[in-house]
Amino acid sequence: MDNIAGQNKGGRLAVNITVLILVLLWLLPTVGLFVSSFRDRDQISNSGWWQAPLAVDLNFRTRIATEPVREENGSFILEGNVFADPGLRDRFPDGEGVVAAYGTRAVDPAEFAAGEVSDLRAGGTVVIERDGTYRIVTPEAIDRGPTLYFEARTPPRFTLANYQTVLFADGMDRAFINTLTVAIPATIIPILIAAFAAYALAWMDFPGRGLLIAAVVGLLVVPLQLALVPLLSLHTSVGIGQSFLGIWLAHTGFGLPLAVYLLRNYMVGLPRDIIEGAKVDGATDFQIFVRIILPLSFPALASFAIFQFLWTWNDLLVAKVFLPSGAASQVMTVKIADDLLGSRGGDWGILATAAFVSIAVPLLVFFTMQRYLVRGLLAGSVK
Amino acid sequence: MKSRLYAGVATLALIAGGASAQDLLIAPGTEGFNWASFEEFSAAHDFSGQTVTITGPWLSVDADMVRNTMAYFEAATGATVNYSGSDSFEQDIVIAIQANSAPNIAVFPQPGLAADMAARGALSPLGAETAEWMIENYAAGQSWVDLGTFPNPDGEHEMFGFFYKVDVKSLVWYSPDAFDEMGYDIPASMEDLLALSQQIVDDGGTPWCIGLGSGAATGWPATDWVEDIMLRLHSPELYDQWISNELAFNSPEVIEAIETFGAFVHSDGWSQGGPEAVATTDFRDSPAGLFQIPPACYMHKQASFIPSFFPDGSVFGEDYSFFYFPSFAGKDLGDPVLGAGTQFAITRDSEATRGLIEFLKTPIAHEVWMAQSGFLTPHSGVNLDTFRDDSLRAMNQILLDATTFRFDASDVMPGEIGAGAFWTGMVDFVTGTSAEDVANAVQSRWDAMR
Amino acid sequence: MSPVLQGILTILIGVGGCVGYFYFSNMILDKVIFPARGPKAGHNINRANQVRPWLFLFPALFALGLYLAYPVVGSFWRSLFDRSGANFIGLGNYVDLFGESAFRTAVFNNLLWVLVVPAMATFFGLLIAQLTDRLSWGNIAKSLIFMPMAISFVGASLIWKFVYSANPDIGIINALRTSAGMVALDPLQVRFWNNFFLMFILIWIQTGFAMVILSAALRGIPEETIEAAIIDGANPFQVFFKIKVPQIMGTIVVVWTTITILVLKVFDIVYTMTGGNFGTHILPSYMMTYMFRDDGRATAVAFVIMLLVLPVMVWNIRQARQEMR
Repeated sequence: MDNIAGQNKGGRLAVNITVLILVLLWLLPTVGLFVSSFRDRDQISNSGWWQAPLAVDLNFRTRIATEPVREENGSFILEGNVFADPGLRDRFPDGEGVVAAYGTRAVDPAEFAAGEVSDLRAGGTVVIERDGTYRIVTPEAIDRGPTLYFEARTPPRFTLANYQTVLFADGMDRAFINTLTVAIPATIIPILIAAFAAYALAWMDFPGRGLLIAAVVGLLVVPLQLALVPLLSLHTSVGIGQSFLGIWLAHTGFGLPLAVYLLRNYMVGLPRDIIEGAKVDGATDFQIFVRIILPLSFPALASFAIFQFLWTWNDLLVAKVFLPSGAASQVMTVKIADDLLGSRGGDWGILATAAFVSIAVPLLVFFTMQRYLVRGLLAGSVK
Repeated sequence: MKSRLYAGVATLALIAGGASAQDLLIAPGTEGFNWASFEEFSAAHDFSGQTVTITGPWLSVDADMVRNTMAYFEAATGATVNYSGSDSFEQDIVIAIQANSAPNIAVFPQPGLAADMAARGALSPLGAETAEWMIENYAAGQSWVDLGTFPNPDGEHEMFGFFYKVDVKSLVWYSPDAFDEMGYDIPASMEDLLALSQQIVDDGGTPWCIGLGSGAATGWPATDWVEDIMLRLHSPELYDQWISNELAFNSPEVIEAIETFGAFVHSDGWSQGGPEAVATTDFRDSPAGLFQIPPACYMHKQASFIPSFFPDGSVFGEDYSFFYFPSFAGKDLGDPVLGAGTQFAITRDSEATRGLIEFLKTPIAHEVWMAQSGFLTPHSGVNLDTFRDDSLRAMNQILLDATTFRFDASDVMPGEIGAGAFWTGMVDFVTGTSAEDVANAVQSRWDAMR
Repeated sequence: MSPVLQGILTILIGVGGCVGYFYFSNMILDKVIFPARGPKAGHNINRANQVRPWLFLFPALFALGLYLAYPVVGSFWRSLFDRSGANFIGLGNYVDLFGESAFRTAVFNNLLWVLVVPAMATFFGLLIAQLTDRLSWGNIAKSLIFMPMAISFVGASLIWKFVYSANPDIGIINALRTSAGMVALDPLQVRFWNNFFLMFILIWIQTGFAMVILSAALRGIPEETIEAAIIDGANPFQVFFKIKVPQIMGTIVVVWTTITILVLKVFDIVYTMTGGNFGTHILPSYMMTYMFRDDGRATAVAFVIMLLVLPVMVWNIRQARQEMR
């Protein structure tokens, strides 16, 4: 029993509660985004996501049509039901609802209780009943129907429309494939290159080894932004320009220091006798590397692969600089940032959905490969 | 008459070859459009097998409209046009030019950026012929030519940008229902507008929805305000000097304009949510207040493109309308209009690219987009009946009624000012920094560029 | 060619090329240049073994040199020229930068970030690692806390807009404030403190990373030392601070350093949340305001970032050299 407060029941309860609170705190923001992705723009701006499962009172506007009008005792009568307004169809799909109050001005949409008769500004009277039926009586025929406002309780509503918009946006499928096209080679190539280099730095003796290790560590901290402009000019001058080849090379270069650093740290920790035994048996370095080191380093390779994959998948900056901006080579992050957010910027529901779509694959990768991640990282840092 | 029309269609079908009329939004021959210009252009150009690539700032609906319009160029010449849009066009085009992978045509919303590119030698001049054409055929043609003329790398002035699609910025959006219910009238002068704003506050309402949020470009909507006010306080000549920094950014005239804008934001109860909300509310979200019940605000000043961000199903004339952002009755400056526009510039020359610029001179290239939406044009040879709805026609009327037309200053200023220091300066101003300090900061950034 | 096919082909060529390079270069070395037979066999084997490390290292060194070392040198050189790149102005860009108050704010904020984010992320990571250590649902808890690591910075910024929004119908903080009878305010406009609200986003992301590594390190502590301490009558807090923490100090430092390095590279959070307004610029975001406009200034800012990391870099290199022994 070596927990901080693990010695008694009360202590264990306290630990459980603390962890629960922390987890909820960490989860809460993401939950907010997730719930919002199932709500439409109006709902999001009218009520917080935490109120999503509750029915809320909302105000609505309806324009009364001037037909069909009926003349009775010298007055003109318009009758109908406010819930039949086609503009409110998506709120009240069966054309039914309960009116709590109504009004004739937007400033006071609940001025009168349902069933109470009130005066129209242009002359005449109006009443809306609880079931939504209205009756307007005017002394003369009118050519423009009045605009009425009413308050009604609306049930919670969730929609998949946002997902439909995002997933079936023009070119999203192409962007998805492009992202994979960028991410997979940009994950595998640096691993291979780094593995060989890490082996040399860990197990081969040569002059300048210490200096090289120091250099790799030093390069870990080079800010990426520094490299963008000179590299783009370089790519242009050798004829690569903005292309998939260019972005693979760029990601390879940027990912290498961490890869070499992690892999070398892991490989150094491998048992010395196995490697020396193999050498005595006459195995070449190449054979040792392929037959012994690679299989043993699998956790470290996998953990770096996860990191690099997450990084290339989520990357926006490198993609914007090294890939041409046209639809043919857009990756998902660029598609979302430059196309969806630009044209649907005010639409929080779409933004939330776009964020969720873009993190779906990384999350999947993360949850399936999590075990390796922990094992690999451990080796890289725990002494 | 009718038989001649059919004959025209027949020749069209012959010329267009494979392209079928069904691909086109408006069937050739539809009454009202200038099909003669289309036929004539078609007969004179053939770019079969060639491709023209265009990048620009238009996305989704706008992108569809530009594609619909370019389809007529394709039908007329047999060329293929590939348009792609980006929200960060300004960055992308600079990167593409550095990487030597520029498209054939770039559509610049900011003359300042186009000027930078021209100075780097990235643009091909359009030639004196095009400039002459524009002087003759565009209303106030010389001013459009001037806005598209920049020094080349050798410092010589040449015309690089062809204006196509213009926006009007001096518009105030409102809900006719709300005005009607509260008994408010459309203000005829700036004095009336200020009085109306105060009256709305006295009635317990909030007059203005203002939102400066726009991601990394946060602050730009405020620059439009200041520019519009600048044109209403001072002469257009002074405005031009302000753009070229002959009139320092921290001169009293500019500070006066900034402070006048400040009245709309800082006066008690004038702006929805107060200055703090103004600074961060996304400009696309901010007009939503007009449509809330009860209304969160009664007026919203924004350019002609904003209805795309109104709630789905909003109808012009019923749910929303607009009026001209009025000028001071007490100043004798006429009715100035602030506008913006996009210019086509050649970033990679080819025969078909030149052809596309020629196509933009035909009335049909304008009319087809006028029949869609969000398109205003200074082209004097177009049929105004082809506008799809009254709102566009009314906006075009504002453009035509203008006694003075000036281009969005922040778009013409150098990028670091007009798309940088001016933006952040306005955010600082809204959240409490004094107009003097803001103006000094912008001017010092300008000084640092020399 | 469809991009899928192109992608598959690239993977094949890239991977095949790498494997082929290593395999054939080794073969050529062993069989052709220095064959391990003939009169000088022994000598040849030695020579081959001297060359081989460089064969293994060459691709990595080439890529590192081209993609990281060259830009560092190239950028420094560029930062000595004016905006057009034609006139040499020495340290003029640096002098001008330090004359800008916005730049000084950015440096100050950046120092805050470098101090606070790694400290808090490591602290929370350690706390959660310790608390979940023997918990039956500890692994689930850890997975959930690690999850933000998989989210892009842009996605994370969006998530936090639903927390920080000034509109009480969108932002949960202001919903709580208004329901408690306080006025809604925009947390991102509260001068000075808004920096900390932005930092918390990165802390939220990085805590999972710290937690995973530290929890593994905690498990690596030999049971005997802890048992001995308990027998000696140490209370749980003493066990934790006096026995456990010192033993995993090395790991704590590595975690701290890794996060510090990350902090100096992240610009997305500030860029998308505030655009650097309200006094929240940090150096990487400040650099973006010059990028592609005045490359001289932009590279000068980048170099100041490098200078800030220098102590971390030097310390790491010394650490690496110590380990070698």
